[in-house]
Amino acid sequence: MTINGIDVTDFLTAMLATGLLRAVPLVLASLGDVFAQKAGLLNLGIEGMMLSGCFFGFYAAYHTESVTYGLLAGMAAGLALALLFAFLTVQLRVDQVLVGLAITIFGAGLTGYLFRDLFGGQNVSAAVRPMTIRIPLLADIPIAGKALFDRQALFYLCWLLVPVFAFVLNRTRFGLNVRAVGENPFAADAAGVNVIQVRYLAMALAGIMAGFAGAFLAVADLKIFTIGMTVGQGFIALAITMIGGWSPWKIAFGAILFGMLNALGDSLQIIGVGVRTEFIGMFPYIGIMIAMIVLARRTSVPAALGIPYARGQR
Amino acid sequence: MNERARLSGISLLPIASSVMAIVMAFVIGGIFLEANGKDALHAYRILFERGLINGDGLTETFKKMAPMLIVSAGLLIALRASVWNIGIDGQFMVGALLAGVAGAHLSGSVPNPLMWSIAAIAGIAGGLLWAVVPALLMVKFKLNEIITTLLMNYVAVYVTAWLAKGPFKDPDRVAPQTPKIPLEDRLPFIPGTEVHIGLIVGLISVVVVAILFRSTVYGFCLDVVGRNRRAAIHAGFPVGRLAGSALLLSGAFAGLAGANDVLGIQGLFKANWNPGYGFTAFALVYLARLNSLLIIPFAFFFSFLLVGGDSMPRRADVPTYFVEMLEGLMLICFAVAVYLERRWHVISERLRGRPDDRVEPETSSGVESLEGLEASS
Repeated sequence: MTINGIDVTDFLTAMLATGLLRAVPLVLASLGDVFAQKAGLLNLGIEGMMLSGCFFGFYAAYHTESVTYGLLAGMAAGLALALLFAFLTVQLRVDQVLVGLAITIFGAGLTGYLFRDLFGGQNVSAAVRPMTIRIPLLADIPIAGKALFDRQALFYLCWLLVPVFAFVLNRTRFGLNVRAVGENPFAADAAGVNVIQVRYLAMALAGIMAGFAGAFLAVADLKIFTIGMTVGQGFIALAITMIGGWSPWKIAFGAILFGMLNALGDSLQIIGVGVRTEFIGMFPYIGIMIAMIVLARRTSVPAALGIPYARGQR
Repeated sequence: MNERARLSGISLLPIASSVMAIVMAFVIGGIFLEANGKDALHAYRILFERGLINGDGLTETFKKMAPMLIVSAGLLIALRASVWNIGIDGQFMVGALLAGVAGAHLSGSVPNPLMWSIAAIAGIAGGLLWAVVPALLMVKFKLNEIITTLLMNYVAVYVTAWLAKGPFKDPDRVAPQTPKIPLEDRLPFIPGTEVHIGLIVGLISVVVVAILFRSTVYGFCLDVVGRNRRAAIHAGFPVGRLAGSALLLSGAFAGLAGANDVLGIQGLFKANWNPGYGFTAFALVYLARLNSLLIIPFAFFFSFLLVGGDSMPRRADVPTYFVEMLEGLMLICFAVAVYLERRWHVISERLRGRPDDRVEPETSSGVESLEGLEASS
């Protein structure tokens, strides 16, 4: 079957494939952010962390031509900014929104500066070759097969992180501590949980994942860096974490939904449906707001979200 | 416990903290430049010379000050009520677009002052329109305004680009832009200068906001909501309406700033034109310690920073993004300064022999924002 000369199966395969690929940075950043938010930290620096992950990941990948080094560099950049965030908000107890926006502004400035200075603002691409794995038999299933089972090795790894994060959050001592610290830090402290330490660890994890998300986008997916390339995806990830009710499984679902929404626009254009690029670009941002309206009332926010913890003060 | 009154009154310590933060940011930025193989002192000299000393640059600085003042005055209203309007950029763009369309449509057919007024109203309407969505979502659906205003920025980029390419496009041009307002119909210069009268509008905006907070009940109510939302609810304040109106007002000012730039300098709205004043204004208002009149000197400071930054790539081989990085550094240093200031209060109170457990405030930014967050997220 064809529409406007384009094979429908090819079209659906492409849409599913692009959608799932676009969803990866969102799901990575959101998974990390679950831990930050569950521990009571509203990380508005996520956009800056992700953008830094993009740049430093790209920079390392460009010079080493290795995906692995690129990803590690991206994670390190995210981690560095996350530790700064944790130091200022957890240790010094300065307002989280102020610190978060400061880090986002700093990240945008730093990456813009370095890209202009080191690459002269030229668009160069990193010569990386991500390993792909084709799963026999499954990859032959029409439509879904090629989109799901003939991908980069990294693609599978990222989605495998969803159950891993769900397990850590719900079934481990660390996960329990994070949730306790975000709900009632005083009770957690009284029960012998080191609130400061748990918040530091949760934030470090969130930073690593935001950097990973950025590096995936710049290194494994697009293989280029452009200034401000995350265009709000960090903030979208933050919102996905909220509408996903801080559950890794629901977050994965939300991220796929927004990835597909992203891909839908591109795909409609390919088959010649006359949708203007501007409308397509708005889809995810408007979509997430609608999702927030529909789902917001059903979710229960971690009680201590955004509130600094100081011993002996209630 | 009246930390905020202490912070917003003009006393020396808060200003000293801001100045210290700025100095520290320059020092760290300088070390960064040197580490990156640049001549930091030369770069800073260019930065200051261009925006401050050079006559041409000073004119540019004053021109830049107009939108800075207007945007910051609006942002102050929101932040004083602990409403985080991060959507200034979007509100600015929509305001600029509508003002550009109205101005170009009317210029030549009505007297200029009338055209300017109508275009300014169109700009205000645009900014308001863009703030209505997050305001409604905040008040009716309890959605966190930080996220929604942020997302609306991205929507604004696409909507204005679409309008400038489609319905409002100048049919005589290839480029996606609104029709041009002729040079002779733009805002006139302040006599004896080459700075358009938008600067005066900016100063008036700041004074109006200062009066709002110093001597109106409404301003007082906003301050109460900002300082302690829970107390305001208990006292029977219409907290939702107050917070929503603060967001709307803030959007209206951002729209006015857009109109001001279009009528005074640009003459039209180009698709994707986004000067990105939002984050700068955020840094500005914070460093001004949420004090309305302090906005004026800080607006001057940030304006010359932006103007000077523009000439850094050519004359000092330092990318313009350095200024944005510097703004981020200032806010980071400011966060540390706020902490030190709080410690200093604790120590000084202790020296005066008061028990220190009552002194240390729970939050430390000068805004009791966290209760607001809790209620609205």
